Amino acid sequence: MRIEVHFTRERIVRPAPEADAGGGEAGAWVEFAGIVRGVEEGRRIAALEYEAYETMALRVMREILATLAARHPCEAVRVIHRVGVIPVGETAIWIGAASSHRREALALVTEFMDRLKQDVPIWKRRALAAGELSTSSHEPESGNRDSACLS
Amino acid sequence: MRLLFFAQLKDATGHSELEWSNAGSMSAEALWERLIHEFPALAKHQPSVRLARNGAYAGPDVVFERGDEVALIPPVSGG
Repeated sequence: MRIEVHFTRERIVRPAPEADAGGGEAGAWVEFAGIVRGVEEGRRIAALEYEAYETMALRVMREILATLAARHPCEAVRVIHRVGVIPVGETAIWIGAASSHRREALALVTEFMDRLKQDVPIWKRRALAAGELSTSSHEPESGNRDSACLS
Repeated sequence: MRLLFFAQLKDATGHSELEWSNAGSMSAEALWERLIHEFPALAKHQPSVRLARNGAYAGPDVVFERGDEVALIPPVSGG
């Protein structure tokens, strides 16, 4: 299985299915996008700030995908996780998986998300209200301690 | 030994990373003892924090060495 995993600080541009499923082996293409919700812990927000221990997170994500591929053989999988400040409605994580038949790719994507939320060192660092978004840096660690830290 | 702090642990320590130039080999228990001595606010996080050594989760018997990168991993929340 071809595995591609990376982080971005920019808005995620959804790759075309043909990039991973265009070789003729795949009959199914499954996509998942995790979107920043407008309400976090009961509070209306404008954005979430994510941070990651990127070198370890990339390694752990590849290991998880390789393990899952033994049970759910796929042709290719691609994961893009955004870090920094992500406005409500924009994509924080995008996954695309190509497989011969739909069940393998659906199972792989579902189980990967479960494992990501247990083991991959990525954090929702803080939630930003509308007034904070315009003044916030789009880099992690902009240091506004008045915002809510999420655990 | 290079220590990395993430998420709420940055607030608890006031650091994102730290160098312990005088650190020798130490167990996880000894590492936590020194961490909490230097940063008492870490104590309440200890039960939920996992340690990583050079980019991989560390088991309970791991020994941390002088040149290691040691990360404190609070509960994750990606996706």
